[in-house]
Amino acid sequence: MNSATLSDLSVLVPELILVGTVLVLLLLARRIQTAPVAAVMSLIAAVAAGVTAGMAVVSGPQIGFGGMVTVDGYSRFFKVLIAATLALAVLLSVRRSNEEQAPRAEYHALLLLASTGMMLAGSALDLLVLYLALELMTLCAYVLVGIHVERPWANEAAIKYFLLGSFASALLLYGMSLTYGVTGSTGFADIAAALFGRGLETDPILLVAIGLIASGLAFKIAAVPFHAWAPDAYQGASAPVAAFLAAGSKAAGLAALGRIGVVAFESEAHAMSAVLAGLAVLSILLGSIVALSQTDMKRLLAYSSIAHAGYALLGLTAGTPDGASATMTYAFFYVFMTLGAFGVVIALGERGESLDGYRGLAAQRPGMALVMLLFLLALTGIPPTAGFSAKFVVILSAVRAGYVPLAVLAVVCSVVSAFIYMRVAVLMYMREPREAVPPAFPVAVSAALVVAALVTVIGGVLPGSLSSWAVSP
Amino acid sequence: MSDYPVLSVATFLPLVGALAVLALGRGERARWIALLATLATLAAAVPIYLGLDKTSSELQLVESLEWIPAWNIAYGMGVDGISLPFIFLSAVLTVLCVGVSWNAVQTRQREFYAALLVAETAMIGLFAATNLLLFYVFWELMIVPVFLLIGVFGGPNRVFAAVKFLLFTLAGSVLMLVGMIALHSTCGTLDFEQLADAREQLGSGQQSWLFAAFLAAFAVKVPMFPVHTWLPDAHTEAPTAGSVILAGILLKMGAYGFLRVSLPILPEGVQTFLQPMLVLSVVAIVYGAYATLVQTDIKRLIAFSSVSHMGFVTLGIFTLDAQGIEGAILQMINHGVLSAALFLCVGMIYERTHTREISDYGGVARAAPVFSTLLAFFCLAAAGFPGLNSFVGELLIVGSAFATQSWLGAMAVWGIVLGTVYLVWLFYRVVMGELAPNLAGMKLELSAREVATLAPLAVLAIWLGLHPELVLSYLHAPVAELTNGGVTH
Repeated sequence: MNSATLSDLSVLVPELILVGTVLVLLLLARRIQTAPVAAVMSLIAAVAAGVTAGMAVVSGPQIGFGGMVTVDGYSRFFKVLIAATLALAVLLSVRRSNEEQAPRAEYHALLLLASTGMMLAGSALDLLVLYLALELMTLCAYVLVGIHVERPWANEAAIKYFLLGSFASALLLYGMSLTYGVTGSTGFADIAAALFGRGLETDPILLVAIGLIASGLAFKIAAVPFHAWAPDAYQGASAPVAAFLAAGSKAAGLAALGRIGVVAFESEAHAMSAVLAGLAVLSILLGSIVALSQTDMKRLLAYSSIAHAGYALLGLTAGTPDGASATMTYAFFYVFMTLGAFGVVIALGERGESLDGYRGLAAQRPGMALVMLLFLLALTGIPPTAGFSAKFVVILSAVRAGYVPLAVLAVVCSVVSAFIYMRVAVLMYMREPREAVPPAFPVAVSAALVVAALVTVIGGVLPGSLSSWAVSP
Repeated sequence: MSDYPVLSVATFLPLVGALAVLALGRGERARWIALLATLATLAAAVPIYLGLDKTSSELQLVESLEWIPAWNIAYGMGVDGISLPFIFLSAVLTVLCVGVSWNAVQTRQREFYAALLVAETAMIGLFAATNLLLFYVFWELMIVPVFLLIGVFGGPNRVFAAVKFLLFTLAGSVLMLVGMIALHSTCGTLDFEQLADAREQLGSGQQSWLFAAFLAAFAVKVPMFPVHTWLPDAHTEAPTAGSVILAGILLKMGAYGFLRVSLPILPEGVQTFLQPMLVLSVVAIVYGAYATLVQTDIKRLIAFSSVSHMGFVTLGIFTLDAQGIEGAILQMINHGVLSAALFLCVGMIYERTHTREISDYGGVARAAPVFSTLLAFFCLAAAGFPGLNSFVGELLIVGSAFATQSWLGAMAVWGIVLGTVYLVWLFYRVVMGELAPNLAGMKLELSAREVATLAPLAVLAIWLGLHPELVLSYLHAPVAELTNGGVTH
């Protein structure tokens, strides 16, 4: 392989911006521990990465690094989404000055590095690059979850996450090596070419490979039965980190699943569909039902994110470009509504972490309660919010692919989850407050909430706004 | 003719009002903004009335904007003779809701009036939508404000009632969502007229299960027996304005759905389910009427009477002949007027006595002659007194039911008899006799504002009773189109 040239690097501009910022942050780490410089730098880097990713020409896909990395409409979509996730996560990480702080420079460096990995996952055209990208993301995530070393529960969460995560990475790697064994290649296009005309009949081992790869990626998006880490990690981590993981890790995992499913295993779409349908059903069922009994807000949102992983998978289950595009739309809107819901949790501080803290919020802070109601409605999938648009496209693609029972199951479970989300609404609007009025929260958090709320509303009023943008690979 | 989008203006004016209430409505100002917004909406609806040609069965005043080109779905609004009366009823009732809540709602007025106005947008938008997705959006949009109206401003058991309402309606509507998506993936469009033209593409098996999917949503809203159980709870606990919205409009959404979706688009599905629908309708009529006899709570009694009256509506629709369908639509309007009036009456007296138990009342006539007269009037009208509005609608439906299957007509007549019994008995227990001791000394008589709130409904009840053509003349053309379009028995 040739050494990297300038044109190769041009494929990775957004990632390079993030990595460059990381280097600067680490160099200056000691000087900026107390000033908000780190947050500002990260925000600028996120916006710059998002803008460069969004402006990337799509006059046909560009390829770099010997065909291992690409810039196309698909990767552009996810890069912009991840840049937005990063920007909102940075805003949400701004704390009140009297609250305990994680080491700022390191914290932001890890956020940026994790985002780099997520972005790369959308661009990867090769199993190995994909693996590296996802590991970069996950390794940073382990540390982020446990970054408050003085909190025992954060350490516990990080260790659980790490152990399960390593196991999942091993599964992923094993699946990749089996694929290599069958096809003799790690590039997606070569794998597809090698599989053309062959199938599970000639290479039954392929089913194992597909299953293992899907399992490894299912861990990243917290789909059942690879979900066990999510509730503990979200609960133990600080709320901004939980929000970042819920949104970003899911987007990156879906990006990887989408490209592998549609490009590499195109000829094995039915096997992939079967595996994904199983994951989707289990996730939707378990996520909706277990959330019923949660009393911790972050755990509730974790189970909700598990259910949403299932809904998002419905699109990929169809195994068509339309389906992949539906999943992309779902991921996009989901990121904003879940970041928004977490944003309210963050804004409420300690009080926001338990369900009881929402009692009487509407009487005390009507605006915040209204915004939370909006995100809850979006998570339920009630129009006119983006959650409905997202649900509509994935169910449309499931019905078109003939998975009508799956669609019915999905909507019936959405009634179950409506009960969960509306329980929070009931607490906010229909109960008397027990706690004092929550203190004002930083402007940055409000800004993030406003952005998330706007996307949630606009995405609901104009459900087709993403359709020309969410192009499958 | 006007050259601006009258329907969109009438639909979204309340939403603008809601935002204004949220932004500016500190303290007492909220109700003034709400009154202004609802009156403006009523005024904005007048050009719709003026612009409609009632001899045509086409959708008129059509607005179409590109909305979701990728799925071939446009933002489409339009009216015909069927939807026009509902739009007006919604606009009128919301004004009255503001009127009756003027003093009754003392806390969190801002949220109350904002929810009411959002509900108005949902109601008018639903009746003006010309495609299924828009219909669905307004359908779901309705759930949230009503949920809040019941749950925040309702009676002691309000949270239970609100959640029950939410879960029932949502469970129905998600199945409609799947049905809608299946329609879209087969026919490639969601426009009502295009769907009716494209219905050949649906096999009869597919039509049957699509009908079932939509039935789940519509039956819960109507509500048909046996999914009516949310209604008594919701009605009882809701604040007066909430009950008025529920009884006056929300229940009609389901029946309107049958007329807009099931009959024109899924005629074969209708045929498959025809007999069960007719049977469930008369069960609702008779069961609802008997259930009123054992109620001790006035609002619960009226709620069960709604179940009975909406049974007449679905019976009329599923006779599938023009007379029955016209009678059903007329009856929906009548019921919208009268159940709203009855709930307003109950709400007004409740505001003074703080009890809804029938046994706590008695002899109200002695303390409140004007109230008692109005209540008597509305009870008589609801019981189908000749010359008042319900009489005509029930006559049309019963006639049509006799022609369809005579036992249906007989059951419906039995329902009317029971209706007279429970309404007269209610009136007797509340108004006649000696003044109940616990009411002594209370100022029960209505204020001028309250009389003004009830007066429009009384006028409508007489007007529609003497001159039902006021509504019926709008129905002839579209209903003829509906019955000629393939849904005949």
